[in-house]
Amino acid sequence: MYAWLWRHLPGPLAVRLIIAVALLVGVLALLVFVVFPWAEPRLPWSPVEIGDPTTQ
Amino acid sequence: MGRHDSGGRAGGHAGRGSQSGAISGDLVDPPTQLLTPVSAGGPPDRGRAIVRGVGEVLITLGLIVLLFVAYEVYITDLFSAGKQRDAVSNLDDTWRDEPADPQRVDHFDGLAEGEGFAKLYIPAFGSDYSFAVLEGTSAATLEIGPGHYRDTAYPGEPGNFAVAGHRVGKGSPFNDLDLLSSCDAIVVETRNSWFTYRVLPMDDERAGWAAGPGTRATCGAVTPLGGAYEDVVGREIVRPTEGSVVLPVPRRPDLRPSAGERASLLTLTTCHPKFSDRQRMIVHAVLVEQAAKDPAQPNLRPTAMEES
Repeated sequence: MYAWLWRHLPGPLAVRLIIAVALLVGVLALLVFVVFPWAEPRLPWSPVEIGDPTTQ
Repeated sequence: MGRHDSGGRAGGHAGRGSQSGAISGDLVDPPTQLLTPVSAGGPPDRGRAIVRGVGEVLITLGLIVLLFVAYEVYITDLFSAGKQRDAVSNLDDTWRDEPADPQRVDHFDGLAEGEGFAKLYIPAFGSDYSFAVLEGTSAATLEIGPGHYRDTAYPGEPGNFAVAGHRVGKGSPFNDLDLLSSCDAIVVETRNSWFTYRVLPMDDERAGWAAGPGTRATCGAVTPLGGAYEDVVGREIVRPTEGSVVLPVPRRPDLRPSAGERASLLTLTTCHPKFSDRQRMIVHAVLVEQAAKDPAQPNLRPTAMEES
């Protein structure tokens, strides 16, 4: 997977490295700012509700 | 590629002599391959490529899960710290700018979800422990800071001023509730007043309270509660569904005393154990002191604030 990706990056080594790092940062940002906040409330063990006022 | 690969491996064998060449050879191989264009290759190469591809995907998924854990425990703290800062400055602006009630009485009606109305201090957690308390307990509100259970009392009122907060992540306001001892001060600042609550005697301290724990200097006004409140202790662990801990008389839905008969309690709720939502940790405290803020001496604070 990563070898395939590396082969398909254009340009000399330096350019490939820069693109690879940019891709990595982009994926991390997507995970932290979009995917994780979206997924969190959907997970069964996410400790969001504290106490349960509806059973008062 | 194939030739290069096997050449490198043969070299590894030869160079290491009797050592286990296969394993070290495998560890050395991938970087070579990353930098070397792979040709279509024969069947062994394709098999290796598939296995390696699956392995890389699995490792990547594992790293994403690890990153998610770091996100839950650390990164949400950063996001929440910013939101809490904004909430505190909004609250400070409100207290400074809006014309004060001439009677210097706090009004809490009409608070919107997520609106700050008080500050919470626990001197035992350090003099810098301070959170803006917001109205409501929705997920969005609790990301900003501790949230007040709607329909429970407000600071200083007879009844149960109940506040929820996250244990781990999202600012972790109530991370250390398990470290609170009986008689530790929980100070609530509102626009016009300071309210000092103290943690009630723990379950195992009640029997010998007057002669033992109750003799500490901070315990002057704290005694095990009696009457309808005799089962209310400083800290308890309950099931997540036990919403009755925030009732005017905690755990007693059958008792609805009138305002005049209610004790002024403070209840903090959070997750238990850490990193889990299997149970809830509940801390009950009782109001022992209240003081109106003096506009002439804005920096005057309750003495309990110095107990850190």
